[in-house]
Amino acid sequence: MSDPTAITDAEFQKFREFFYRKTGISFDDSKRYFVDRRLADRIKATLSDDFRSYFMLLRFQASGEECQLLTNEMTVNETYFFREDHHFDCLIQSILPAIVKRKSNKDPIRIWCMPSSSGEEPYSIAMCLLERWAGIHDWDVEIIASDIDTGILKRARAGLFSERSVRNVPPHMLRKYFTKSGHEFQICEDLREAVEFTRANLADPADTQNYKEFDVIFCRNLLIYFDDISRRTAADIFFNALNPGGFILLGHSESMSRISPIFSVRRFPEGIVYQKPVPIP
Amino acid sequence: MALKRSHVPQSAEPEPAPQLVSLPELIEQLAHADAGERRLAALALLNHQQAAPLLIEHLKSEPSAVVREAVFTTLARLGDPAALTGLARCLSSEDANLRNGAIETLKLLPEQTATIIPRLLADSNSDVRILTISILESLRHPFVEQWLVDVIESDPHLNVCGAALDLLVEVGGPESLGSIQRVKQRFIAEPYIQFAADLAMKRIKQG
Repeated sequence: MSDPTAITDAEFQKFREFFYRKTGISFDDSKRYFVDRRLADRIKATLSDDFRSYFMLLRFQASGEECQLLTNEMTVNETYFFREDHHFDCLIQSILPAIVKRKSNKDPIRIWCMPSSSGEEPYSIAMCLLERWAGIHDWDVEIIASDIDTGILKRARAGLFSERSVRNVPPHMLRKYFTKSGHEFQICEDLREAVEFTRANLADPADTQNYKEFDVIFCRNLLIYFDDISRRTAADIFFNALNPGGFILLGHSESMSRISPIFSVRRFPEGIVYQKPVPIP
Repeated sequence: MALKRSHVPQSAEPEPAPQLVSLPELIEQLAHADAGERRLAALALLNHQQAAPLLIEHLKSEPSAVVREAVFTTLARLGDPAALTGLARCLSSEDANLRNGAIETLKLLPEQTATIIPRLLADSNSDVRILTISILESLRHPFVEQWLVDVIESDPHLNVCGAALDLLVEVGGPESLGSIQRVKQRFIAEPYIQFAADLAMKRIKQG
């Protein structure tokens, strides 16, 4: 008897197109095993007869709940505190001074982390600002962290992290901002209160239309999962979301110059970032 | 001053969604004096099926590089026959920015662009044929080698064949060797073709 969770090539193709339209995430053939395994898990969990009946559920369920659950399964959420820490040096030493110099009012400085994943990045930024940026005494800073995966946002809000996740947190910060709880580390209430976590889908302009007036965007190691057109769409969303002169930081293997020419390249001593041009008066 | 919790209004809260803006309004916005407004109109036109010819026409007079990029992004996302035809027409433009933007956009649409490649490679303008070969350079499509072979077998223009040979150095396989030999014979008095053909054959034989 054949395995009811087995996925044929045609079904994989059909699913891939559907998922791409919904999320902007594109799976090539090398991800086949990863996708098949997760689809098989959801076919079993939903008690579907086979891929065909599961796909019907996915497409036509009015609440969209299964589509969200599957999206949560398909997204990769491996991260840790102070990952690619030169970006935090860059934020403190170069980006924030440039922003403050240009700001003509006392509106808050707004930072958007996309994707939030389990919260390590936005909390790292928050700690960095409190520990290393003197300007925090003069400026309000808002940190918004977004992700397409609602499950991971729940974890981010809870703020409970593994030893592996906090391995790069300096000891004095670990003592100050975390409480050890068994093998895990609970981030303090003040930081959990300081970061706003929201669900957002970069493939859906309606989802991101209210994300505006940011000064800095961290979008690291996300666009590598997108195809070329979705990357350009994401670049446009970031352009809309940034204030003129605002900055965007990408992961070490990503380059905005290869995605879209609408941002300027800024070379700071700590690394390369991208900037939304300021209109010439 | 300190870290301060922000609130992002979720998309369900009232704010006009881009798709709700009508075509006449977007056409008006596309003519706005402010480039930011024109850019937003170009992106919002994605929600209108008949937008491609309008966007292609707008490209001819749009002075802002940022707005042009938004137009190209929308055309790529539309990816319909009208967008493809319009982008293909841009390859004959005198404006280098327009030509390059069209090439980059066509590269984003490998499946759709593949349907017009034979027509572009048969264009009467040799510059269009050369630009088409530059699209093939990064077009992820299984027919790329066959199209290049067809070019060197039949195209009468020296530079078109030269461009195809340059690319065959990278993508050619043993099946191309006979055609490369024949193009050498066709252009026996042209040193560049001799050089490019010899290099392509050497690389292919090296595997």
